[in-house]
Amino acid sequence: MTAVVWIHYARPRPHWYALNEIDQAARKTSWKEIARASESSGAERVGQFHVRGQHDYETVEIWRFANAEAAADHWSRLTAFGYNEWFAFANNIGLAMVAAE
Amino acid sequence: MALLTDTTDVFSASSASDRCVVLFVAKRMPQASGSVNSRHLKSVVAVLDELGTQGWHLSLREMIEPSTKTGPMVFNTGFAHDADYVGVFEAPSVSTALDGTVRLEQAGWSRRYSTQWLLGPREFAAVNGQGPSIEREWGFIALWEWNDAWAAASAEQRRAYDAECDVAFQGDLALNVNIAGRHRLDFASAWHHLGIWEADSPETVDTAMRGHEDAADFMYTTSRHYIGRRRPLAEMFEHASGEPQ
Repeated sequence: MTAVVWIHYARPRPHWYALNEIDQAARKTSWKEIARASESSGAERVGQFHVRGQHDYETVEIWRFANAEAAADHWSRLTAFGYNEWFAFANNIGLAMVAAE
Repeated sequence: MALLTDTTDVFSASSASDRCVVLFVAKRMPQASGSVNSRHLKSVVAVLDELGTQGWHLSLREMIEPSTKTGPMVFNTGFAHDADYVGVFEAPSVSTALDGTVRLEQAGWSRRYSTQWLLGPREFAAVNGQGPSIEREWGFIALWEWNDAWAAASAEQRRAYDAECDVAFQGDLALNVNIAGRHRLDFASAWHHLGIWEADSPETVDTAMRGHEDAADFMYTTSRHYIGRRRPLAEMFEHASGEPQ
């Protein structure tokens, strides 16, 4: 059951570019593990898309979660590993539309 | 959800961290004839009544003093902002908060207002101002994000910054302002936090902001502030029908 869509826009903060490739890769690996844990719990990662040509951010990542709590928990675990300190972001959540009676 | 930054002398972690704020920034839309009528207002009121029975707080006052029952209240912000009304509710959970916003929109709210709804769990407990009992009919609504400079700062720099801001927050309490703790909005917004206050006048809020500027509060944040006067929520839908008044 994936009733909630979660939309995540992101771009690197300036000091991300000062990290060397090894440090960047290590951080990306820890964030990917968090994403995998969310997928193991039933979330679906629709994908990540490049939007820099027509947006303030570089990428948009789209997920489907069972409920809003699962999306909030996914984000909480990413921030606990410092993701928000290296990437500026804008998040959005949406409830699946139910046809009007 | 974990705290995004540490507790301070002024702010302690809330034991009600499952509760979720529902902040709305509403702009009145031009009305097509017949698009909104008294039936829609009744539907919105019916949804709010039901949410009230399901454990929602429907005003800032109820969020700060849960034993108080004010009914749905908002802040009229149109005199100073491009938003006509800004208000807060607090839902028992994140899921019920999201569901409630959709129900309100579909009941008729969306026919009258273009609204940004921001949701987020409670982080810090409410703090009461110091001083005599006074009427506080002004709301101050602060949204902020930690900016790139904060993100690049060391843990020690952030601790020093928090301590300096805490002095400013002590100053707010000394102005007899009530602060509804802090909520974390970042899972579903570009804003990271909401701080919302009850104050006796815009002058008090302005004095408080000078204290925050002295403390270099805005060195590490990008902020948006709203100020508004408390009104019953029903005012949002008065004269909405196009029917004879």
